[in-house]
Amino acid sequence: MEIVVCIKRVPFTQEVDLEIAPSQKDIVKEGLAFVLNEWDNYALEEAISLKERLGGQVTAVLIGSEEDEEVLRRALAMGADRAVRVDPGDVYLDVRGISKILTRVVKDMPFDLILTGAQADDTNEGCVGVMLAEELGIPHASVVKGIEVLDRTLRIRVELEGGTEEVSTIRLPALLTIQTGINEPRYVSVMGIRKAAKKELKVFSLEELGLDSESIKPDSIVERLYFPPEQGGAHMLTGDPATVAEKILKILKEKGVIQ
Amino acid sequence: MYTKGSEALFIPHWVFWLICVLSLGIFVRTIKRRITPLRQAQKDPRFNQWRLRISALIKDGFLQIRQPRYPFSGIVHLVIFWGFVILGLRSLQLIFYGLGIPFIDPFSTQGIWYRYAQLKDIFEVLVLLACLLSIIRRAIFRPSRYKGSSQLEAYLVLSLISFLMITDLAFDASHIMLQNSNVNTISLKLLSNFFKTFSPSELSYIFSISFLLHLLTFFVFLNLLPISKHFHIITALPNVFFKKLTKGSIKPARYGIQQLEDLEYLGIKQITDFTWKHILDFYSCTECGRCSDNCPANLSGRALSPKMLTLKLRDSLYSAFPIFKKASEQREVIGQVINQEEIWSCTTCGACERECPVFIEYIDKIVDMRRYLVEQGENPSTFNQVFLNMEKTGNPFGRPAQKRTEWIQNLEGIQVRILKKGDEVDTLFFVDSYPSFDPRSQSITLAIAKGLSMAQVDFGILGPIEKDSGHQVRRMGEEGLFQLLKEQNQKTFETIKFQRIITADPHSFNTLKNDYDLKVEVYHYTQYFLELLKGGRLSLKGMPKEGRYTYHDPCYLGRHNGIYEEPREILEKFLGIKLLEMKRSRDRSFCCGGADVGLWHEVREEERMAQKRIKMALEVGADYIITACPFCLMHLEDAIKTHGLEGKIQVVDLMELIISVC
Repeated sequence: MEIVVCIKRVPFTQEVDLEIAPSQKDIVKEGLAFVLNEWDNYALEEAISLKERLGGQVTAVLIGSEEDEEVLRRALAMGADRAVRVDPGDVYLDVRGISKILTRVVKDMPFDLILTGAQADDTNEGCVGVMLAEELGIPHASVVKGIEVLDRTLRIRVELEGGTEEVSTIRLPALLTIQTGINEPRYVSVMGIRKAAKKELKVFSLEELGLDSESIKPDSIVERLYFPPEQGGAHMLTGDPATVAEKILKILKEKGVIQ
Repeated sequence: MYTKGSEALFIPHWVFWLICVLSLGIFVRTIKRRITPLRQAQKDPRFNQWRLRISALIKDGFLQIRQPRYPFSGIVHLVIFWGFVILGLRSLQLIFYGLGIPFIDPFSTQGIWYRYAQLKDIFEVLVLLACLLSIIRRAIFRPSRYKGSSQLEAYLVLSLISFLMITDLAFDASHIMLQNSNVNTISLKLLSNFFKTFSPSELSYIFSISFLLHLLTFFVFLNLLPISKHFHIITALPNVFFKKLTKGSIKPARYGIQQLEDLEYLGIKQITDFTWKHILDFYSCTECGRCSDNCPANLSGRALSPKMLTLKLRDSLYSAFPIFKKASEQREVIGQVINQEEIWSCTTCGACERECPVFIEYIDKIVDMRRYLVEQGENPSTFNQVFLNMEKTGNPFGRPAQKRTEWIQNLEGIQVRILKKGDEVDTLFFVDSYPSFDPRSQSITLAIAKGLSMAQVDFGILGPIEKDSGHQVRRMGEEGLFQLLKEQNQKTFETIKFQRIITADPHSFNTLKNDYDLKVEVYHYTQYFLELLKGGRLSLKGMPKEGRYTYHDPCYLGRHNGIYEEPREILEKFLGIKLLEMKRSRDRSFCCGGADVGLWHEVREEERMAQKRIKMALEVGADYIITACPFCLMHLEDAIKTHGLEGKIQVVDLMELIISVC
């Protein structure tokens, strides 16, 4: 099975006190660590384990700068066979632009299945996968938690609200956006990533792909970024861990969460 | 000058020639086959530091100073070993005698060789006694450490040795009686009453038959050595000679290779991925089980027994490189011979290596197997995030680097310098991740900063530019990540001028000292604060609370770096504490559960190590366990809480204790 996985490199924001840049259109990225988007990690693992079972090849695609290439190397180390990076330069891209570029890249590739993360950890829009499927004119499903391969179709489990799940079949070629927890992504060692440096990694500019600024013009732009205004209702617990734990327990009991 | 004795031997020399040539032929063939895997194994540069090696050979090889750590079997072994050394010449004498080649006369009645004959008689009797005692001990007392060892083989060999002694004594005594010489040796004293009943012709039968049996047994024994655990008689001395001379460090992923990326894989996949020295370890194991008898993983019911690890690997090596049978195709080790649970059970505490009388190495082998698993992505999945956090944020928690200095806020009125590129300072306090971020460990960090400040030491920390020392990730098998962290830290060190490094954690101390390439001295705080106290730069104002105190030696402070006295000196001399020592203390200290794998992976066990340790402290009646390691503190405190022992016993870090009376 030929599989394409679209991935992204995002800031690692766990416990970081984020700051908003003076332009108010972005966060301050200086000093932040960057990682492979968590959802994409699951998508990659799913693609690679499908390949290991069924044969075929996995191609990882990324839109980003040379710095972002690091996560493509990680994908190669995980077991992807090829990697493609599109360097958009300084062009402002929204979900529309990104899906247009991806469409252009993927169209020339043989593929049976395209996987993307259900969303990205930075902007949480969850649009690109669906828009890409629409552009390519192939069926898609979002927030997939399980894939079972039947002949030329897949039986998939999709997460719905409130813990319900929907099982359906989808015809290939198709696009699925992958939810975390679908598998257990393998660890890629630092040495493994270094070794993957030998694998092929192609880079294209927008011009090389024949894309002009008009064709990837954004539909939406960020006007202003701000922290949500502080609201009441938060109750700060203080004390040593044992005391705090006791207080939490008491509250949970009061609110009827536990008996 | 050759005596009439040879004439008395009524077996022709060609019989002995036949026996000798045949058995030496088989022996040489066996040894050659045993050498094959050594040649196919990986490099390991041990042909160096001759002086140290010779002194190790004398101390640990010939004097066997580790043997009496188990007094009974140790002394018995020393007797047998020294018997072998003394009797080696006797064997040569007898072989040459049988072959009819002139050599030292085995029947000298005067001079130095007569003295030798008397000495060998004494040793033959001693060895015989030692063998009998060993047999009785094995049969009646059945020490648990022999579980899984080949008992049959042990009995066989002890019997063979005894038989060798008996036949030589009989041979010697019958000869003296036949000659009617006036020499009086032990062999004669022991056997003359019994032999008196025999006629001269019967005596000459005894003489010849015991000689024949002796030589036959000797050659059977010789050929048994390389196919049994008694191969150690040949390999133990070389194994001691080539022992690892460094402490605390981990071997490189592969010796003699610069670009690890070029390797097909890292670590141990198949049996020949071990180094030749590690293969020699397999040959040298005596199955004595002292390793497992001290291994905290084994004692707490985990899947790992160091002795069985060696035996399983040895047996798999033997079936891949057999002497008689067809070679097994099976060379893969992990999953086939050693399972993952065994590999992740080790805390790298080093108790096994400290105990092994023939200096078999375990930690390097286990870490090498882990390296393979990690590269294959087969590590416990809980490690994934830890490794990624280390790579991305320089700490296992994934906390932002900027928050590495947050602990400083809890220091009232004390300034801590956060060093930057180009700065100069006397003492660099390398805090490391747990002491920076973990709330419980921070109390040690704060105490050190206070102490340094009180002693007016010019010190600073690296803060956001400090990365984890990598001690844990290296021992968990993520070698590439360790190299990355080490490189980053070493680069940072180069940008700042300092005279020494001190650490809060024995693990960072160990890694900076033994795994990094630093030119400055690295101190654990116990060493440095002892200096400050001795020099009068820090003075104590009072005494710690009354109570009964015991000290728990952290593995990476004690066993791996030999720091046993410094903390005790602080406790006894400066804090006026009379320590109650636990049975397992100093180099026999019992690991608390460790600072690497155990933090992120649950291994099946019957009882937690820390809980066992607390029991040991309670046994000596301690109210306080003093330790000098954030992880010991954490594990032991947890065990106290989970077993409802709060109020009965308390764990305190030495630094907390010092600062409480400053």
